[in-house]
Amino acid sequence: MYYSSEFFHYGAIAASITLSSISVGLGEGLISWSALKSIDRQPAAHEDIMRVAIIGMTLVETVAILGLLISILLLIYTNTNTDYLFPQYAQMGIIAAMGLTGFSIGLASAFPAQAACHAVARQPFFSHRIVTFMLMTQVLIQTPMISAFLVSLFIQGQSSGVTTMSDNLRLIASGLCVGLGSIGPAIGLSTFSKAAITSLGKNSKAYDKLLSFAFISQALIETPIIFCLIIAIMLLFVVPYTNINNYMDEIIFLAAGLCTGLGTLGTGISSGRIAAAAATQIGNNPDSYNILSRTSLLAQTLVETIVLYTVILSLLMILFR
Amino acid sequence: MNGAELIETPYWYFGYLVGYENNSLFNINSEIVIHTWIIMILLAIMLACVNFFLQHTVIGRFILLRFVSFFIDLTKQSLGYFDFYHCVFAASLFIFIALCNTASLIPWLDEPTRDLNTTLALGIISFLYVQTMIIKTRGIGSYIKDLFQPFFIMLPLNIIGKLSSIISISFRLFGNIFGGSIITKLYFSAISGSIILELLGLLFGVNFIIIGFFTLFEGLLQAFVFAMLTLTYLAIGTQEGGH
Repeated sequence: MYYSSEFFHYGAIAASITLSSISVGLGEGLISWSALKSIDRQPAAHEDIMRVAIIGMTLVETVAILGLLISILLLIYTNTNTDYLFPQYAQMGIIAAMGLTGFSIGLASAFPAQAACHAVARQPFFSHRIVTFMLMTQVLIQTPMISAFLVSLFIQGQSSGVTTMSDNLRLIASGLCVGLGSIGPAIGLSTFSKAAITSLGKNSKAYDKLLSFAFISQALIETPIIFCLIIAIMLLFVVPYTNINNYMDEIIFLAAGLCTGLGTLGTGISSGRIAAAAATQIGNNPDSYNILSRTSLLAQTLVETIVLYTVILSLLMILFR
Repeated sequence: MNGAELIETPYWYFGYLVGYENNSLFNINSEIVIHTWIIMILLAIMLACVNFFLQHTVIGRFILLRFVSFFIDLTKQSLGYFDFYHCVFAASLFIFIALCNTASLIPWLDEPTRDLNTTLALGIISFLYVQTMIIKTRGIGSYIKDLFQPFFIMLPLNIIGKLSSIISISFRLFGNIFGGSIITKLYFSAISGSIILELLGLLFGVNFIIIGFFTLFEGLLQAFVFAMLTLTYLAIGTQEGGH
């Protein structure tokens, strides 16, 4: 019993740092690849391009730093108590939450920096504004990482007091909900921010309109992640500790977590693509910003009702077991 | 480190008045109610200050002009035309929600929007305003006709789609502010143990970054998104041939 418990604990420590650093490594490679390509195209602007690439890489690295932080916290709180009734399966929730989110967010936050390198090569005298825009989008992309961090801290806090298998699966379900839920919105955010920065590179006069559009659109694309966080917190705190090992409860918890987690996948991608198309059109034609932004917001809110159905279903499953 | 103590809130129990002592429906979250009232009093004081002092200085008038013209532009942008009542409604929603979201900057205050009840109330207010305005501009006949839009069978789906806007708009605000408040509370409870950590947090600006992002930036952004979405729902509904 004790050895399998250790296996899950140290596995969670390894997975949360490994998966996030793999994606950060890939992302930094992509950024430096496009930086070199854009220096090749515009050698006179190599200083600006290098600056953009370095700022982008440091921001991408925050994902790895958060993964390292949770690993260190898990190591500090290693429980040497050997008399578990159940092995710490609950730590698998941390693998799902931190690993999946770190992997998707690390890759996604590299895309705006890539697009920014190309944009600076196209418009070297506009590099300050492009850097500001890139910073805003990257910081907003990385907010899901913080929700995953939060959920994994709570899972770690509760996992030592778990006595039944249904409680274990409750914690795993909340981790899976956040981890799976961040994949789709991360893809959507990366498509949107890449398109927005590319169109900013084409038309620098659309800066103000693109910036206000980017704020609202990114907040809207990220909404599915917030719904996932709500479901995960419902699973963590609203459901009381169950001392009886009820097999129906385990299945219901897993189903509620997976329902919302997988429901965000398509919504995140499609919402990101809607906003990306609108951003490209705003870059081409800033005068028709009003109708473009209105149409895009309408389409995004309509797409997001689909996630709401899954959220309502999960809430019904959790509350009326 | 269980985390449950961050979510616990004090309650007023009104159940015994009605005869249901253990019914959670009659429990009122006392902290949130008191803090909302404090924020409303602060808002009244602020508006009185604006009316009496800020209006009579050059800089104050400039700030006021910028603020008002920002909302007029926003209304024009999202509606396509200017309407005074819509503009005032969106601006007052924005001011109230922004003050609620950033209330934790004031000592001993918490964000009322951290509670789902407050955001649901705000969402229902915005929903009712939007629906009344749609009925006013387009007439009750075409409003009901829209519910049966493609076929007769689509009526329940259309009603659910209309009602889901309440949930989407209020859950978005609640989730963002709730997550942010938990993170700031966790951070400050983590560093409050030792003087060295508090000094490091102050000197390296980590406190400032966390408060600035999660409270100021996220709070103002979410308030703006709330007002903007209300205007967008209005624009969708009041246009001819809209869904």
